[in-house]
Amino acid sequence: MSTTTSTAGGIDRDDLARLAEHWDEPRSLRAWFTTVDHKKIGRRYLVTAGFFFALAGLSALVMRTQLARPEAGVLSPDEYNQLFTMHGTAMIFLFATPMLFGFGNFLVPLMIGSRDMAFPRLNAFGYWVFLFAGLFMWASLPFGAAPNNGWFAYAPLNQEQHNPGLHMDVYALGLLFLGISTTSGAINFIVTALKLRAPGMSLNRVPLFVWAIVATAFMVVFALPALNADNAMLFLDRRFGTHFFDPGGGGNVLLWQHLFWIFGHPDVYIIVMPGLGIVSAVLPAFTRRGVVGYPLIVLAIVAISIVSFGVWVHHMFATGLPQLSYSFFSAASTIITIPSGIQIFAWLATMLLGRLVLRTPLLFVIGFIVTFVLGGFTGAMFALTPFDQQVTDSYFVVAHFHYVLLGGALFPILAGIYYWLPKITGRMYHEGLARWAFWLFFIGMHVTFFPMHLIGLFGMPRRVYTYRGGLGWDVGNLISTIGAYLLAVSLLLTLIGVVHAVRRGRPAPADPWEGDTLEWSAASPPEPYNFPVIPRVHSLHPTWDERTAESTTTGATEDRILSEGRRTLFTSELDARSERAAEMPEPSFKPLVLAGALLVFFISMLLAWYPIAIAAVVTVAATLAAWLWPVRRPDEELGVAS
Amino acid sequence: MSVQPGPRVRLAGGLLLWYGVLGGAVAWAVHVLAAWSLDELACAAGSDHVSGIPLWQALGVAVLVPALAALGSLLVAALVWQRTARARSAGTDNPALGRSRMLAVVGIWANLLFLAIIVLGGVAVLVFPPCQR
Repeated sequence: MSTTTSTAGGIDRDDLARLAEHWDEPRSLRAWFTTVDHKKIGRRYLVTAGFFFALAGLSALVMRTQLARPEAGVLSPDEYNQLFTMHGTAMIFLFATPMLFGFGNFLVPLMIGSRDMAFPRLNAFGYWVFLFAGLFMWASLPFGAAPNNGWFAYAPLNQEQHNPGLHMDVYALGLLFLGISTTSGAINFIVTALKLRAPGMSLNRVPLFVWAIVATAFMVVFALPALNADNAMLFLDRRFGTHFFDPGGGGNVLLWQHLFWIFGHPDVYIIVMPGLGIVSAVLPAFTRRGVVGYPLIVLAIVAISIVSFGVWVHHMFATGLPQLSYSFFSAASTIITIPSGIQIFAWLATMLLGRLVLRTPLLFVIGFIVTFVLGGFTGAMFALTPFDQQVTDSYFVVAHFHYVLLGGALFPILAGIYYWLPKITGRMYHEGLARWAFWLFFIGMHVTFFPMHLIGLFGMPRRVYTYRGGLGWDVGNLISTIGAYLLAVSLLLTLIGVVHAVRRGRPAPADPWEGDTLEWSAASPPEPYNFPVIPRVHSLHPTWDERTAESTTTGATEDRILSEGRRTLFTSELDARSERAAEMPEPSFKPLVLAGALLVFFISMLLAWYPIAIAAVVTVAATLAAWLWPVRRPDEELGVAS
Repeated sequence: MSVQPGPRVRLAGGLLLWYGVLGGAVAWAVHVLAAWSLDELACAAGSDHVSGIPLWQALGVAVLVPALAALGSLLVAALVWQRTARARSAGTDNPALGRSRMLAVVGIWANLLFLAIIVLGGVAVLVFPPCQR
């Protein structure tokens, strides 16, 4: 309990000093490896995902250079196979989801008025696993052993007899390894959002970005086991001679596709949903009003998360299943456009009814709406079985999913980078440079991917390393390649803008945009403890709400200051009623050691060093035991205090 | 003075609320899994009967029962919405009221969506022969 006079209202210097003492981490190499601070981990996710994005983007540039003209010789077929597989796999698994988890890590505790994630050490562990899994997969490329079967790795081509070497072992083990990070991160988000919301933040006051992250986390928890099962069976087939996907041994080729797409279609929304959350977070600041139709956007988030699990067979409309079976999935694929449409109309109405402030984050949001709607339009076309069967495996599909993924994830990510850069770094970015980056990105995106619709309809199949001239594909491919270079320049400008902001940007105030969510009531960058006083939330727009602001100044009470120890407040799941203060864990090496032991395990399995794999398993078990060994908790926390 | 409901009544009320919010989703999940697997497995086995029942009738059950469950969920959500509206107009100052009202709105629209998907699946059962490829 605080020994100061803060009960009478307000927080004093002693409280602040104690908070700093309990939450500050020294600047040292040890602290770098042991940190459990969600903001540092969030920043690391963003930077690491950005690094993997650069690698995947460079792979795309090399491929586009190869395809710029017919029968070019920049790449061999084998190199091309590895590059397009790593491009897709890295963009999906190592960039989009971790980048958005990075935003979630940094922002969710700030938006809900908490001092950290629910499981800070699990959070650190998730990051290290993500880093190691990404390096594990990319390291295979210089050895010519990178995955080479496309990002969805269909059977039977993924089997040892058709695809010898380590390529698909790297794929199966790499994704299994990464899945540990994604699953632990998802569980952490769910518990954090359910138990650590500031008092008063009932479900109808939760920011839309947090709704989106929680929905994404639930999708991950339900979807990822299918992919993990698929990859485990693939590895067993390849390494130990089982026959899960071998019809000759009683297996089934379509089993791979079913399991992959049970994960894969929700994964489209796993990627896009946090992006949609970013759009809902950015709009209020630049329209000077709340997003129109809050309950309907919550409905859209919930409905999309659920329906996305019932549309997977539309990826298999060309596999010869009964027409009636297709119809059940076709119906869901058609209806899922309604909640997506609800969100689009809600954002348009918000812009129509608000007062627009045309800064770079809003430009990216407008770019998102244009691009995502076009991608959604061709998506609705795929829900119709006869059309889908005509364009399956053509460049039309490549155009469609790049419109959806760049539109639904990359535009919002860039909007989010510019929007939250002042909060993350404490520095403002250069607006002129950012606008150049936006326009080049917008133009580059459409110049790259629009022609792919046409060359796809003209019959160009996807995943070909070259093509003969005179088939009507030459001009479209050349334009696409020019667009790809424009995109690269725009992203380079974005990187320069971020570096410029960090080094030379003017200091950012706490709330440069007059945003409505709680992160804007914290300092820029936030203190290690986020909030000196955990706010009491009185509305959906707490930063615009005087009573909420008052709760952290004159209305501050001891139960929300919690300066005695490294503590945050637990609240009830539905209505965020105060329950108790909880002690949060200190920094630790254990997450890093556990992730390192897992890395050794996966490398050993890849290279068939089984005794070392067994030693790694023992290390994992010992580290887990040390991690989970019960520590003495204060009586108050155990609920036995008098 | 309002009387606080007992724990059993509160539990029943809570369960009913969640049925109103998520009942349609669960009903649709049952529909799609049951209808798809019945069709897929029966046709793969070269039969248009399931345990002696014509396949189209079995599929009809996999449409009708979930549709009724989703309809019930829709009615419950509408009832919650109506009651929260009444409580709000009576000036009840309960923080849970706003949350329940939002969940009711989400439930109404979500149940309509899931009911629509199930009905579309039902139309397909009427239009397509079960094993046509």
